[in-house]
Amino acid sequence: MATVNNHHQDSNPNTNTAAPVTSAKQTVTVAKTVDTQSVLKRLQSELMALMMSGEAGISAFPEEDNIFNWKGTICGIKDTVFEGMEYKLSLSFPCDYPFKAPKVKFETSCFHPNVDVHGNICLDILQDKWSSAYDVRTILLSIQSLLGEPNISSPLNTQAASLWTNPEEYRKMVEKLYKPSA
Amino acid sequence: MEESSSSMCNFSVLESMNEKSIGEMEDSWNAFCLATEALHGADGDLSFASDFVAHVRVLCSLGLESLIVEHFLCSMEETFEKNGASKFWKHFDAYTNPAVLEMDDADQQQELQDVLHRALEELSSDKQYQEKCLLMLVHALDMCRQIKSKEQTYSDAERNHLFSKYQLTVFSVLMASLPRHFPDVLQWYFKGRLEELSAMMATNCENENGLQENDGMDLDYKGREMDIDETHHQIANLGNNKLIRNIGVVVRDLRNLGFTSMAEDAYASAIFLLLKAKVHELAGDEFRFSVLESIKGWIQAVPLQFLHALLAYLGDSKSNESPASGQKSPLASHPSSRYYRTGTPPEGLVRWQLRLEYFAYETLQDLRIAKLFEIIVDYPDSSPAIEDLKQCLEYTGQHTKLVDSFIAALKYRLLTAGASTTDILHQYVSTIKALRTIDPAGVFLEAVGEPIREYLRGRKDTIKCIVTMLTDGAGGNPSGPGNTGDSLLEELNRDEENQENSSLDDDVNTDDKQTWINAQNWEPDPVEADPLKGGRHRRKVDILAMIVGIIGSKDQLVNEYRVMLAEKLLNKSDYDIDSEIRTLELLKIHFGESSMQKCEIMLNDLIDSKRTNTNIKATIKQQSQPVPDIGDEGLSLEDLNATIISSNFWPPIQDEPLNIPGAVDQLLSDYANKFNEIKTPRKLLWKKNLGTVKLELQFEDRTLQFSVTPLHASIISQFQDQTSWTSKDLAAAVGVPVDILNRRIYFWINKGILAESVQDSGDHKFTLVDVLVEDGRTGVNNGGCEELLARDEDGESSVASVEDQLRKEMTVYESTKIVMKKQILQKFITGMLTNFGSMALDRIHNTLKMFCIGDPPYDKSLQQLQSFLGGLVAEERLELRDGMYFLKK
Repeated sequence: MATVNNHHQDSNPNTNTAAPVTSAKQTVTVAKTVDTQSVLKRLQSELMALMMSGEAGISAFPEEDNIFNWKGTICGIKDTVFEGMEYKLSLSFPCDYPFKAPKVKFETSCFHPNVDVHGNICLDILQDKWSSAYDVRTILLSIQSLLGEPNISSPLNTQAASLWTNPEEYRKMVEKLYKPSA
Repeated sequence: MEESSSSMCNFSVLESMNEKSIGEMEDSWNAFCLATEALHGADGDLSFASDFVAHVRVLCSLGLESLIVEHFLCSMEETFEKNGASKFWKHFDAYTNPAVLEMDDADQQQELQDVLHRALEELSSDKQYQEKCLLMLVHALDMCRQIKSKEQTYSDAERNHLFSKYQLTVFSVLMASLPRHFPDVLQWYFKGRLEELSAMMATNCENENGLQENDGMDLDYKGREMDIDETHHQIANLGNNKLIRNIGVVVRDLRNLGFTSMAEDAYASAIFLLLKAKVHELAGDEFRFSVLESIKGWIQAVPLQFLHALLAYLGDSKSNESPASGQKSPLASHPSSRYYRTGTPPEGLVRWQLRLEYFAYETLQDLRIAKLFEIIVDYPDSSPAIEDLKQCLEYTGQHTKLVDSFIAALKYRLLTAGASTTDILHQYVSTIKALRTIDPAGVFLEAVGEPIREYLRGRKDTIKCIVTMLTDGAGGNPSGPGNTGDSLLEELNRDEENQENSSLDDDVNTDDKQTWINAQNWEPDPVEADPLKGGRHRRKVDILAMIVGIIGSKDQLVNEYRVMLAEKLLNKSDYDIDSEIRTLELLKIHFGESSMQKCEIMLNDLIDSKRTNTNIKATIKQQSQPVPDIGDEGLSLEDLNATIISSNFWPPIQDEPLNIPGAVDQLLSDYANKFNEIKTPRKLLWKKNLGTVKLELQFEDRTLQFSVTPLHASIISQFQDQTSWTSKDLAAAVGVPVDILNRRIYFWINKGILAESVQDSGDHKFTLVDVLVEDGRTGVNNGGCEELLARDEDGESSVASVEDQLRKEMTVYESTKIVMKKQILQKFITGMLTNFGSMALDRIHNTLKMFCIGDPPYDKSLQQLQSFLGGLVAEERLELRDGMYFLKK
C-alpha cells in the first residue's frame, strides 16, 4: 500500500513533464556553472506561469526583495483530513537552481507523518529524486498530494504515522496543532 | 664719401689711389650719376648713351663695376616707381568701385579694354626702354672687361642674374603699390573678352559647320588628342583674329610685369564663370535632351580654343620674353613653342581640358541634383537628363550629395499632407526607375526610398492606391497622362520575364565556367553601401518588391486586392473577366499561387455564374412555351443575369435590407427555384442590394435610360403608381432607413426626375417631375441614353473594406489586451496576498514592479494601482483595513 502510494506521488508531477526529464538530466552534467541571470530568468518565468495557471489550492510568491526566497501556500485537499487547512511554506532556491532542489519547509506546524516538528519535509523529489524538470508548481502540487497520501514506511513523525489509520482522531490532532500564521 | 660705404673689395683699390686719382674718380662718378639720371629720364631718347658709356668705362677701369650696377638698378627702380607704376595704377582709379565693374555696359567694357591696353602698353614700353638701358650697361661693362683681358667677357649667367634682378624689382614695385581692385578689373576684362569670343565662335561654328560639314571640322570630342590639321586651321582663323591677339598682348604684358599667376587666375575664373553660365544656359530646365555632349563641345569650341590660341601666341612670343618671368602655378599651362613642330597637344592644354570638364560635370551635376525632383516627376521624358546625371556622377563620385539633396526635396515637396497618395506612389515608382539607371546596384535607392516608404506606411489609403495601380490600366484610363496604372501593370509583366531569367541565374548547377564568369564580373559595392542592408543580391531592384515592401507583407496587399476585385466583379453586368484573369495570373506569379487562391475562386465563381446563368435560361426557354410571359410588364427571366458567389471565399459583403418591386422579387425567386432544380441541394440567397439595374423611364415626352443600383431602382419604381411620396412613407415602402433614403434619392433629384419640397411637418416630400424643365442642370438629352453607375456616389461600397474589417479586429484585440493585463495584475496581487497575508499599497507596488515583468510589464503609477485596488475592493475581492490590503475570504 505504502509503495503504491509513494509511486503515485512521484508520478503525479511527472505526468506532464515526463519527456524533458531525460534531456534535462543530461544538461546537469554539462552546465554545472550557471550564471545568476539565467536562474533569475527561470524563477521569473516560473512565477509568471504559476500566476497565470491560477491553480486553486496552491500559491507561492517571492519575498519583496529576494527572488530566491519564496513564500508558499497550500490548502488541504477536500475529503482528506487536511481539508480546510492552509499551510504556509518557505521555499529557498539555491544559486544553481534548477540543477539543485530548493529547500522547502513548512512554516505552519503540520501534523503529518513525513513532516517533523521543525517543518522539514521528507519527500524524495526534494532530495535524491530531484530533477530540473520540476518547478515550483510541481513541488507545491507534490506536497499538496503528499498531505493526503503520506509515506508511512519512512516517517519523520511516528505519532502521526501511527495515527494515520484513524482519520477521526487524526483530524482532531490536525485541528489542535493547526496555528495559522497572522 | 660714398665709396666708403661700398664693398670690401674696393678698399684695396682705394688704398692704391692718390689724391688726384680720387678727385678724378669723384668727377667721373658724379658724371656717371648724372648720365644715368639723364638716361632714365630721357624717355626713349638714347642721345646720352655715348656719354654714359664713356663714364662707365672710366669707372670700370677704376674697379667700381659692382657699384655702378647697384646704383644703376637703384636709380632705375626709383624712376619706375615714380613714372611707370604710379602712372599705370592711375589708369584704373576709375574702377575702384566694384559696382562699376558689375555694370554690364558695352561702352564701359570698351573703355576698360582700351584703358587696360593703353596702360599696359605704356608700362611695357617704359619697361622695354629700361631694359634697353640695362642692356646698354651690360654692353658697356662687357667692353670694359674685354679691354682688361681678352678672355674675360660678361657672362650669360651674370647677365641673366642682372635681368632677373630687374624683373623682380619691377614686380615688387608693382605688387607693393597694387590696388585691391586690380584682380577684379582683370577678371572682368577677361570675362568680357571671352563672352565676345564665345559669341564670335558661335557664329563661326555655325558658318563653318554649315560650309564644311565633312571637312573634319567637327572636333573629335571624345578622344582627347586633337587633330593637328584641324587645330592649325582653327588657329589660322584665330590668328587673324584681332581679339585673340589683343588678349595675347595683354597676357604677355602682364606676364612680363610678373603678373603671371594673377593673369592666369583672372582668365581661369573668367572661363569658369563663363562655363558655369553656359552650363546653366544649356541645361536650364530642359530635361528632355542630353546636354552633356553639347557642353563638352562648347568647352572644345570656346575656352579650349581660346587657351590654345593664347598659349600658341604666348609660345610664339616667348623668345621675346625675358627668361625668368616669375613663378608659375603648378596647374598653369606651360607655353611651349616646340609643340607646333611636334604636333602633340601641350600638356597644359590637356590639363585645362580635364579641369574644365570636371568643372562642367560638377556644375551640371549640381544643377541636375537640385532639380532631380522635377526631373523624376517627368521621368520617362526626362531620361536624357538622368543619363547625363549618371555620367556626371561617374566622373565626380558625389553620390551622397544626390541622396541628401533628393531626400530633402522629397520631404519638402512630396511627403506632405497635400500630396495625394497616388502621386507619391507614382513618384516613388519613377524614382525607382530613374535611380535604377544611375545606380544599378540600388544602394542609393535604398537610402532615398526609405523616407518615402516610411511616409507611405503612415497613410491609410496606401494599400488601396497600390492595388488600384496594380490592377487598373488593362481596362485603361486613357485620360491620365501619367498612366500610373499602366506603369505598375507593366512591371508585373516585366517581372514575369525577369523571373524566368533569374530562375536560370539561380540554378545551383550552373557549370563552373559560368560561375567563373560571374566571379569575374563581381564588383565591389559602392562605398556608400550600408553593409547592414545585405548583399547586392537582395538589393536587386524589383519595383514590385519595393512597393510591397512599403506595406510590409503581401498578405495585406492580397487582401486589399481581393476586396477591390470583389467590388469590381460585383459591378460587372457582363461576365467578361479576361483582364482580371490576366492580372490575377500575373499576381500569382509574383505572390504565389496559394495566397491568390481565394481570388481565383472568386473569378471561377464568375465563370460558373455565366455557365449557370445560360443553363437556367436554356431550361426556361424549353419550359416557357406554355407560359409565354412569366412576369408582368414585360419582365422575363431573360432580363436577369445572376452572379453566383461562394460567399465563404469572398470578402464580407454588406447586406442592406431592401424591398424590391414585387414583380422583380417574383422573378428572383423564380430564378432561385430554377437554380435549386439544377443544382440541388444548393440554394440561392439573393443579396438584393447588390447588382446593377438597367431601367428605362418613360414619360409622355421622353424616354430615359439608366444603369443604377437596386436601391435607386426601387426608389424610382415606387413613383410608378404614386407620383408623390413623403420621405417617411417612401422609406417604409422601400425598406431602408430614412436617412439612407434621403441620401440616395438625391441621385434622382439631380437628374431632374424627382423634385423635393419640405413640408410643414418637416418631412421631405418628393414628387415626380413629369415635364422636363430644360435648365441645363440635368444634362439629359431627350431620348438620350444615360449610362451612369450611381453606385459609389457616397463612397459606399458593397464590400466591407479591409480597413473596416481590420478596425473591428483591432478593437477586439485591444480590448482583450487590456483585459489580459488587468487579469495578470489581479493574479499577481492575489498571489502575493495569499502568501503574505496583508500588504500595504507601496509594498504591493514595489513587489509588482519587481516581479511582474512579463509581456505587458507592470507600468502603473502608485495612484493607478490604488484605484485598481480600489476597484478590486469594490468587487469584494479585497479588503482594505488600516492601509493594508487583504484577500476577502
